[in-house]
Amino acid sequence: MMAGAGGGNDFQWCFSQVKGAVDEDVAEADIISTVEFNYSGELLATGDKGGRVVIFQREQESKNRLLSRGEYNVYSTFQSHEPEFDYLKSLEIEEKINKIRWLPQQNAAHFLLSANDKTIKLWKISERDKRADGYNLKDEDGRLRDPFRITTLRVPVLMPMDLMVEASPRRIFANAHTYHINSISVNSDYETYLSADDLRINLWHLEITDRSFNIVDIKPANMEELTEVITAAECHPHQCNVFVYSSSKGTIRLCDMRAAALCDRHSKFFEEPEDPSSRSFFSEIISSISDVKFSHSGRYMMTRDYLSVKVWDLNMENRPVETYQVHEYLRSKLCSLYENDCIFDKFECCWNGSDSAIMTGSYNNFFRMFDRNTRRDITLEASRENSKPRAILKPRKVCTGGKRKKDEISVDSLDFNKKILHTAWHPKENVIAVAATNNLYIFQDKMN
Amino acid sequence: MEYKVEAHRIMSISLGKIYNSRVQRGGIKLHKNLLVSLVLRSARQVYLSEYYSGACLNAQNEREGNEWDITDSEREKFPPSATECDRVESTEEPQQSEQSEKGRDYRENDDEVKSDQADSTSTLQQEQNQNSSLDSVAKVSSETPPETSNEPKESPSDSAVAESDSTPEANGESHQPPKTQRKRSAEESESGDSPQKRTKVASSNAEESEEAEEMDTSNVSNLITIFGSSFSGLLSKDGAKPEAEDSGQICCDQMLKNLNPWSTAIVAF
Repeated sequence: MMAGAGGGNDFQWCFSQVKGAVDEDVAEADIISTVEFNYSGELLATGDKGGRVVIFQREQESKNRLLSRGEYNVYSTFQSHEPEFDYLKSLEIEEKINKIRWLPQQNAAHFLLSANDKTIKLWKISERDKRADGYNLKDEDGRLRDPFRITTLRVPVLMPMDLMVEASPRRIFANAHTYHINSISVNSDYETYLSADDLRINLWHLEITDRSFNIVDIKPANMEELTEVITAAECHPHQCNVFVYSSSKGTIRLCDMRAAALCDRHSKFFEEPEDPSSRSFFSEIISSISDVKFSHSGRYMMTRDYLSVKVWDLNMENRPVETYQVHEYLRSKLCSLYENDCIFDKFECCWNGSDSAIMTGSYNNFFRMFDRNTRRDITLEASRENSKPRAILKPRKVCTGGKRKKDEISVDSLDFNKKILHTAWHPKENVIAVAATNNLYIFQDKMN
Repeated sequence: MEYKVEAHRIMSISLGKIYNSRVQRGGIKLHKNLLVSLVLRSARQVYLSEYYSGACLNAQNEREGNEWDITDSEREKFPPSATECDRVESTEEPQQSEQSEKGRDYRENDDEVKSDQADSTSTLQQEQNQNSSLDSVAKVSSETPPETSNEPKESPSDSAVAESDSTPEANGESHQPPKTQRKRSAEESESGDSPQKRTKVASSNAEESEEAEEMDTSNVSNLITIFGSSFSGLLSKDGAKPEAEDSGQICCDQMLKNLNPWSTAIVAF
């Protein structure tokens, strides 16, 4: 489902909300580094470079506001990770949150996993809206009363109080990764999860913090022979024994944990042959996969490399079934992008709830959506200029050469500091969250 | 020629990135450094192939047949032109004079280069008789093993020098330098920022008398050769490779005495 340029039954994307400071001067700590809806879409979590997690909750749809869905308001904010120092290696460990993954809700509380480069934490977010009043043995201020003074028996009564949302770390999974963690993924058994760094993938049990199983290890005996690293990993949404991991060489391996304890031998190997005509100094860099995501159905998976998004059928290993160019006009600029480090940007991608559309980010605060059925694509921009409530987003176009039409933007005018790396799609509705540096934009479809 | 300049520029940028990565917060990023080293290696291959294309055309002037076997993929990518090769030749001239100012070690290395290469590159020498400067430059720049065979006397820890891949490859792709050398050299050989494109930390050969700022393309090539194909040097600060640090430490100490302040600053981390 996508926005069309207009007309017919196409729906259009509208601005809903934007969160974050308006300042031109962006503090590094405020840069959003991950965005994730929970399973119901009621909660939206963001992590930033300062190690903080902010959770937004959607307000209940009220009868008054017919034209828009519930808005997301801040629900909880907490400091998940702090900067640490590894004294043994003289290395500082960044507090930046690399990934947040929600656990399915099983009781009134919400649980999520947040990971920085080295440590994963399980957070419990719970509400407290009542407090006990009238203790028999305690004073109002909590001090124990003198037992001899107690002459009557009274039972505490629960009194309502202002809603308080508490976040507490329930588990800390530490010291299992030598390299930087790039992915975490909750398994469909809801008991285990995997965490992946550059060379290893570990399987954890959510209850056990002092042990993890190493299930993939691609570290060569001689590090000089290192040719590729793990860039992303994900558990299959339905088969708890299956997971995939992508590499810096543009390959994806699907592994079955039933086959062996150490899944160094893949069950399936996905790779598209390289097009020799497009070789350059930077071919290897741009083929490195920055994100891999299973479709909700579990039948497909999507990978993002620097210039394109590819959809793979799990039953076909030799090439993707669909390839979408995100910003092909950058291919001739790879050298400049290498110089300014943009070529190393790790874009993520996401599916919509029905797997009919995919979304990913680009530069100049542009993000792209591709409809898999109609094969149409659209480029939209997250900017404060388009921030009037329910303002319809106008499709953007990049001019690749020749005469620049009105409303088009030329490649050289693109702002490469405004990059959209993290996007998320509501699991059930057409609501999307787009992280633009330190701002979080929420867009939704126009309700007719 | 443009390819050579471009390749050289990319090499400088890559080395700058690798250097910067060490001082970045959060430690060395393995993935990014791996990608940078791959780019470095590609650029080096192109850069070095330019030498051989120059030498080859020079040889072709004299005799038929092309002994130089630049790989087909390299040829397809970057076919050398006659004018390019001429320019390559002419740039060798000033470098020759630079080289003559080099220290004893360097010249000794040169001699060793020639002697080591005697049997395996006899064809080479026959072809390049008329241009001895190009000869030595080409050999020094492209044949890592002979050069690194010098290094053991400065670094006793790296004794396994001339491995089996000291056989120079006529195709100009010396992509198999001795692995042990790379560990140490990679650590000490870092380059400055791109504005000083010609600034390179001296390799072990030329540290005696060479100014770091003095650009010697052959040294750059040595540097890249040692550094580019392998990844180990990048990990010296990473806990994953503690063994590299030990050998690196010894060598670094020795090198530090000889390097000028600029190089020292780079090596010091």
